[in-house]
Amino acid sequence: MLSDELSLLAIYGLLVALLLGLKTTGMIGQLGMGYVLSSRDELRTPRGMIGRLDRALNNSVTALALLAPAIAILALRDNFSDATRVAAQVFLLARLIYIPAYAFGIVGLRTLAWIAGFAATVALYFLAL
Amino acid sequence: MTPELTALALAGLLQVVQYVLMSVPANLELGTAKTTSPRDRDRLGGDLQDRLSRRTARLYRALNNHYEGLILFTLAVVVVTLSDQSTPLTTACAWIYLGARVLYIPAYAFGWSPWRSLIWAVGFAATTLMLIASLI
Repeated sequence: MLSDELSLLAIYGLLVALLLGLKTTGMIGQLGMGYVLSSRDELRTPRGMIGRLDRALNNSVTALALLAPAIAILALRDNFSDATRVAAQVFLLARLIYIPAYAFGIVGLRTLAWIAGFAATVALYFLAL
Repeated sequence: MTPELTALALAGLLQVVQYVLMSVPANLELGTAKTTSPRDRDRLGGDLQDRLSRRTARLYRALNNHYEGLILFTLAVVVVTLSDQSTPLTTACAWIYLGARVLYIPAYAFGWSPWRSLIWAVGFAATTLMLIASLI
């Protein structure tokens, strides 16, 4: 049986996978299927909303790389508590807001959501210690 | 050790191999004076990748792409292992992921199109399937 924090981590992984799918679909539309399938020797950068999805994806991957060790430490030490569950929920919620906020260019909300997700990750590390 | 953890350890070693495959030709092409410099764009004449030969630049992109894949795969293995949910399906997915990431390197280096993208999609699908399997 999955503990809640591990489920939240898996759900976040699927969210990142979904974002990757969205970005790639957008890139095929904007840059062409031929370019996407090629070795991309020539640099073509996606523009507009696809560019924002691309940056949101890169940011989500770094957030994932930072979050996963904290959850792994908590799980290996059997240290899950109400506080860690809330922190993991805050993280997921913040990242769920972050992605559309970036895609639609909502200044301020995107940064606030990022800070909330980052703070939740830091809190998980402190709770792990 | 679960088979998923073995595949994860091998994927980590594969990343080390990818580093060697990229950095040896990169150092030969640019010289250690450039590679050990702070790589300021104005002094290097652009991004490091732009100064490399076509094949080495492809290996550079393949390395960076595997970071993304490896982070997601690590997550899937951690979740499956820590929640004691290893099944023949998740084990098969882990080995398929590893096989796809091995093939991805020559596919990128030699410009096999559209096979590189298909091979990438196989590895990505295997990871996603592991994540979904851990939730149901």
